[in-house]
Parts: sequence; C-alpha cells; structure tokens
Amino acid sequence: MVSDRLAIETVDLWKRYGDVEALRGVDLQVPAGSICGFLGRNGAGKTTTIKVLLGMARATRGEARLLGQPAGDAAANADIRRRVGFVSDEKDLYDYMTVREMIAFTRPFFPRWRADLEQTYRQKFELPLDREIKDLSRGTRTKVALLLALCRGADLLILDEPTAGLDPAMAEDVLQALVGHVAGEEMTVFFSSHQIAEVDQIADHVAIIDAGRTVLAGPLDDLRERYQRVQLVFAGDAPTVTLLSPGVVRVNRQGRVLTILTRDRDPLMAEVRSLAPVSIDWSPVTLKDIFLESVRTED
Amino acid sequence: MLWQKAWLETRWRFISALVILTLMAGGNVYDYLATQRLLPMLNSTITPPAQGPGLAGVIAEAIEIQKDFRGFIWFQAFKQNLTQMGVLFAVLLGCGGLLSEAKKGSALFTLSLPITRKQLLGVRTATGLAQCFAIAMIPPLIIPVLAPAIGQQFSVIDSLAHGLCLFFVGALFFSLASFLSTMFGDIWRPLLVAFFIACGAAILQVVVPELGLFRVMSGESYFRTGTLPWMGFVTTAVLASALLYSAAETLERRDF
Repeated sequence: MVSDRLAIETVDLWKRYGDVEALRGVDLQVPAGSICGFLGRNGAGKTTTIKVLLGMARATRGEARLLGQPAGDAAANADIRRRVGFVSDEKDLYDYMTVREMIAFTRPFFPRWRADLEQTYRQKFELPLDREIKDLSRGTRTKVALLLALCRGADLLILDEPTAGLDPAMAEDVLQALVGHVAGEEMTVFFSSHQIAEVDQIADHVAIIDAGRTVLAGPLDDLRERYQRVQLVFAGDAPTVTLLSPGVVRVNRQGRVLTILTRDRDPLMAEVRSLAPVSIDWSPVTLKDIFLESVRTED
Repeated sequence: MLWQKAWLETRWRFISALVILTLMAGGNVYDYLATQRLLPMLNSTITPPAQGPGLAGVIAEAIEIQKDFRGFIWFQAFKQNLTQMGVLFAVLLGCGGLLSEAKKGSALFTLSLPITRKQLLGVRTATGLAQCFAIAMIPPLIIPVLAPAIGQQFSVIDSLAHGLCLFFVGALFFSLASFLSTMFGDIWRPLLVAFFIACGAAILQVVVPELGLFRVMSGESYFRTGTLPWMGFVTTAVLASALLYSAAETLERRDF
C-alpha cells in the first residue's frame, strides 16, 4: 500500500532490454518533501529507473508509483506528469526552436506554470531568448531545461544527472539554483548522480543503486549515524570470517587488515573482539565511504 | 502547441513538396505546346499495326491519349509526375516522430509532457494528412489556372477529382511511413522500405491491373469513364487506418 507521504515508491522493479537486465529489483521509497539523491555508478540503472517512473519505459515486473499513481498506466502517467518537472541527462530540447519559443511551447501544458519564476530564472540564468537551442552551449541548454522544469509548478522534480558535462562553476550555479528553488517551494526532488559530493551537498535522503539493485536507501543523517566502519588489524594475515552479527554490510580482507562496514555497531562489538585482533578502530563514515562500500565487489 | 511542433518539424518538407509539385504541374501545362510539335514526328516513326497489347500498342495509346490537352495532362502530370513524386513526398512527410526525436535526444523532453503517445501521434498524423491533402489538391489546381495562357482549358472539377485520387493513395503511403517510423529512428529505412513496397505495387499492377494502386492514384477510371475509383478510395482508407492503428500500438509499447 502506497502512503500519501511517498512521492516515489517502487517495489521489486525489474527491467530487461533484450538480454540485458537493466533493473534487477529496485526498491525505492522517497518521502514527499525530501531531496533524494539517487546514486550509482555509470550503467547502474539510474536513468532506466527514472524512465520507468515517467512511463518512458515499461517495467518487466514489479510496481512503480509516482505521486500515488501507477507509473505503468499510460493515461494516469500523462496526468501525473502535469505535476512533475523533469530534466533528462542529455538536456536535449527542440533544436529548431529559440529559447523564447521553447518556453512558450512548454508553458500551456502546465496549468500551474509559474510566470513569476519564469521571469526570475530568465534573468538569473541570463538566457539568450532569441537564440536557437542548437546554438546554445551545454551549460546554457542545461539552464533552459532547468527553467522549463522548475516553472511547471511541479510537486515533484526529477533530475537525471543535472550537472553532467558541466564545468565545476556551472555545476555549482545549477546546484545553487536548485537549492534556492527548493527552499522556497514545497516540493520533492529526486535527482540521480554519480557525483557523491553534490548529493552530499544538497540531499537529505539517499538511495544507492548498483547493478540494477537498490543496495542502500534512507535519510542521509540516519545513514551517517548508523553506519560505522571498524578496522581490525591482526598480527598475521586477517582471517577469513563469516560474521553472524546483524547489520554487517560488507567485509573486506586485505593482508593483515579486516575492514567491516556495519549499519548496527552494538551487536558486532562482541563478535569482533572474539576474533582477537591486535587493534580495533571504529570510525564514522562519509557518504563516499558508504557509497564505495555499497558498490564495491567483495574481495 | 503540439500542432505548432508538428508543423515546425515538417514545414520545410511540406513547403518543398508543395513548390516542387506545383512547378511540375505548371511545367506540364507549358510542355503541351512543345509536345504537340513533336507528336506528328513520333506518329510517323510508329508504323501500323501499333494497336493491341505489347509495347508498340502501349506507345501508340500513349501518343493517342496525349493528342488533346486533357489527355496530355492526365498522362504527364497525373499518371506520371504527380503520382511518382507525390508518393515520395507523402513518405517523406510520414517519416519522423518520437523515434526520430529519440535519435536527436529530445524525445525524453517530449515524453515528460503531460500528453499520451497516442495524442502525439494523433496530432502528427492529422498535420501530415492535412499537408498530404494540400500537396495533392493545390498542384492540380494550378493547371486550370495556367491552361488559358497556352490557349487551352482544363476543368477545375477534373483537377479536384484527380487531386482526391492523389490524396487517397498518398495518405496510404504517408501512413505506411508513419508506421515504419515507429520501428526505425532514421529517415532512410522507412524511405527504402516504402520504395520497395511502391515498386512491388507497380509490378502487381502490371500482373493484376484490378489491384492497381497507381491506377487509383492517377485517377485512370475518372479520366476514361468519369467515375471516381470509390472502391480504391475505401480500400486505401482501410489500409491507411490499419497502418496508423498499428503505428499507435507499436509506439505505445516502445521503450525510450
């Protein structure tokens, strides 16, 4: 049962393209009002998940809901898109239109179009209104795409790699615009990225996907609090162990060192002591640590 | 706004088609005088018996038909130029759409708009059919306008009737291209497949004249007997509808 408080929910979402399983069980729960970073390596399934959510691709199996409506229902999905702003990873728009025509084309589709924001972003982004889209730089095209998404008066903003291909200064501009916008509006933002720093900078929730599966999801603060890394150093080679404590996410063995990532420190404490290491070192983890540990193949 | 998008995407193809077909139809009017000067020479080189079946018979009939202005226009414009080029332009107008947009990268923006794929295809189809109608009806109408300049007359009703014949079969090829464009993202494969299908239809017409698609398109029955090819209209309309329905279903199932 989908809660009203969830802007996005997927349950065991699978998607196959020919012989390739692009999604192999994606479970997402994005609370309404959150800024959720959707992290994953290139080819992890981020774009495919977004396409399924927006009805651009059909799930092979599983369930996807957007603002409480089934994503797979063509008519319902078209209706939902009235309340969703979207920026694709390529930011490709209609080459043959000018920026002004592009805005004029998009505006009538959205009854809640924010003319005030349109005016604000036209000036803030310094958009060349009479230039054709095909003549714009990638950065300016991103800004046009962002304006078209932000002004829709949407309840949910879905951004696929919003800063991909931008130089750091332009990426920062885009992120700042996004943060500024969200601060003043009641909306949910779901954005995919493989840039951990930018997720860390603006997200309050995170979902990590790897090889088509959700490997981790939750509020960022909660993850930072729960996740701990313990490093055990042994006199000789670290033993090959199967840890029985609940919450163990990943165990890496390298020479004399055994590194364990856990999302529940307490039950693990007694078990690591029983291994009789020379030293035990507990440390908090960063989002980068959580991400890398989550997507790293086990040694 | 979808209408504007469909128009902007196809306007140059449409305008090119309209200009080229109109120039061809107008050119055929002025060709009449030159051809009339050549026909007596041609008559003297074709020796009887040049009747009945066979190539000589076909040539003799072609010469006979083109002796008067109405026959010349039908043979040159409606049976050949406007039919052949009309098929080409109808196919070109039918090419494109979401899959082609996907190649250019803008399909995801289009698909993020609150509209269904059927609405998108519907608007594009309606725009394309309106354009097909214009390129089928306007060029023939230039003929009665220009004919008095060379001392001839051509009925507006005849132009409209032939225009209708061009439209129905043109719409079929447009629908074929629309359907193929839901399977191929480029313009070349729909064009190539449509070309082969047109060649197949031309061969079929030689073998089974009753199934002559291009006889419907040239309005041969109207030229010879004054009767519009109603059965041909119905058949092409049914086939076009089936192709458009298939296009909608294919597009609905496609992943982007």
